[in-house]
Amino acid sequence: MTAASIVAIIIFVAMFILIITEKIEKQITTLCCGALTLIFVFGVCLRDLGAIWDTINLSAIVNPEFWHSTGAEAESGGIDWSTILFLAGMMIMVEGMARVGFFRWLCMLIAKLVHYKTIPIFIAFMCMSFVLAMFIDSITVILFLASITIELARLLKFPPVPMILAEIFCANLGGSATMCGDPPNIIIGTQLGYTFTDFITHTGLIAIISFAFILVYFYLVMHKELSVNSVSPEDFSNLPSPSSAITDKTGFIINTIIFIAAVVLLVTHATTHLTVAFIGVAVAAVTLITSGKHIPEILKKVDYKTLLFFTGLFVVVAGLEKTGVLEIIAKFIQNISGGNIYLMVAIIIWISAIASAFIDNIPFAATMVPVIKALSATTGVHIDVLAWSLAMGTDVGGSATPIGASANVVGTSAAAKAGHPIGWGKYCKKMAPATIIVLVISTIFICAFYL
Amino acid sequence: MSKQLIISISREYGSGGHEIAKRLSESLGISFYDRNMLDEIANEMNVDVANFHKYDEKRKKPIISRTVRGHSNSPEEIIADIQFDYLKKKADSGESFVIVGRCSEYVLREYSGMIPIFIIGDEAEKINRVKAVRNVSESEAISIMKRHDKTRKAYHNYHCPNKWGDSRGYEISINSSKLGIDHTVDLLVDFINIRMGNVDKT
Repeated sequence: MTAASIVAIIIFVAMFILIITEKIEKQITTLCCGALTLIFVFGVCLRDLGAIWDTINLSAIVNPEFWHSTGAEAESGGIDWSTILFLAGMMIMVEGMARVGFFRWLCMLIAKLVHYKTIPIFIAFMCMSFVLAMFIDSITVILFLASITIELARLLKFPPVPMILAEIFCANLGGSATMCGDPPNIIIGTQLGYTFTDFITHTGLIAIISFAFILVYFYLVMHKELSVNSVSPEDFSNLPSPSSAITDKTGFIINTIIFIAAVVLLVTHATTHLTVAFIGVAVAAVTLITSGKHIPEILKKVDYKTLLFFTGLFVVVAGLEKTGVLEIIAKFIQNISGGNIYLMVAIIIWISAIASAFIDNIPFAATMVPVIKALSATTGVHIDVLAWSLAMGTDVGGSATPIGASANVVGTSAAAKAGHPIGWGKYCKKMAPATIIVLVISTIFICAFYL
Repeated sequence: MSKQLIISISREYGSGGHEIAKRLSESLGISFYDRNMLDEIANEMNVDVANFHKYDEKRKKPIISRTVRGHSNSPEEIIADIQFDYLKKKADSGESFVIVGRCSEYVLREYSGMIPIFIIGDEAEKINRVKAVRNVSESEAISIMKRHDKTRKAYHNYHCPNKWGDSRGYEISINSSKLGIDHTVDLLVDFINIRMGNVDKT
């Protein structure tokens, strides 16, 4: 192992420890570790200024292929500007939708359509969480769903915790179904050149099948807890109407059209060849142009910290990739699986799931993409098999613990703020079995249909 | 009492700080808040108070807690924040009260009528008190004291820049074992009266 590899590993491990301990804000951690990678790994150890330029990867943005793809696999390595621009664009679109009350309106409308009955709300909110998370980041989905669930729980007198837990799980599962649903999928998709259709026809299919099992599972384990309410007619009269959620009617119509257009662009991007970076920038531009005086308000709410976190992270992972560390990991997986493809798939799904249950799945996925590429190149296993295994493992594994995914954190946080703290025991008792169910389904599906 | 008075009592376990705080509230004729605050909070939120007790005055557990976009999922941190907000609401309402622990000397530092006090005690006296109150052996009493003080210190130092028990963070630190509970209360009442201008400082 070279000095550059050792320095890259030290920086990566230090970054992970700092992210886990939360002593320093995570974007500062990744940016500083990224700067250290550029200086010490590429500058001091490798003395390769070209590697620094490749890692910063700004030249990618001026390449027409970056905006309109001809289907060639994207060059990986360095900062993945496609992921960052797409995330930024979707954040702006989502903030525009939130400003006009879209999410609150949708939640209230669904609750009204099922006549405010607890079990139908429970089922409907799980479905809504699953579907919305396919297109919108799971944090936003859960922030709105959990808040409405708590409000309805107070008025309709049911315990909100089982419903919030089910919503969190379904948001994570829905995120696994599409390329834009969960950050690991965006990273996998942009770096390996997949389309929205590739994801929906592979991980999407697994997610939909799993969702059917999960609906039954959550109904069986939670329906008794949710059936203990007794609601008076006065309670119903206190329920807010869906239309009261809309703060700006014109803005509401415009932002709904933008959202539908974004979904259409994403679903058809394999045909139109418009990249996710283009779609992200386009929806952001239209949202801002149509928001008028609300532009500063929307821009202020964009989560720049996460975008900076991604930027630094990609540089640190590039340090591992360019010094050959990730190839060593790929060889290690190859050796322990003894060339057995089934075992290799199982290792990727389950190790990714276990890792994602305890650490942030974004850096994990960013690290594993070059690993599976190397593994595919050396073993001859098709990259698709490994990519879908990685996507399902990282996306679903995060549901098992309260810290595994961002949706879990914001959902349990909202519950605790409303007086319903959820400890590890309470969380894992319901969510770990659900995670195992989906991982077993994913493993069987991939082994049965792809190998 | 016309001016708002907020007495923040921090204490070592076994020092009698809780009893001193209660007696001070009786002497001064003002409200008393300790763990009972959670009952009021739970009542207002219409939730079971048992949900809160497990996490009261405990610091956020590192490694197994995460923060995303400013949302922490640590029940300990959220319960602490709920209590801090509740204390600020009480203070904003103009109410005078005695509050035990809950980082109150830091949370309410901007209120001019806030007097932060720290109560310590001699080791032997503290052990005897814990033995009597908890009906435990000496070794158990020592173990309980150490555990509670460690938890309180960790909780306090996580939320506040000043260190738990560091005299610079309080207006008065007093060893209750030297004067006994009654005289400690008397001395503190005198201090509070002079401090609040109810008695001429000269």
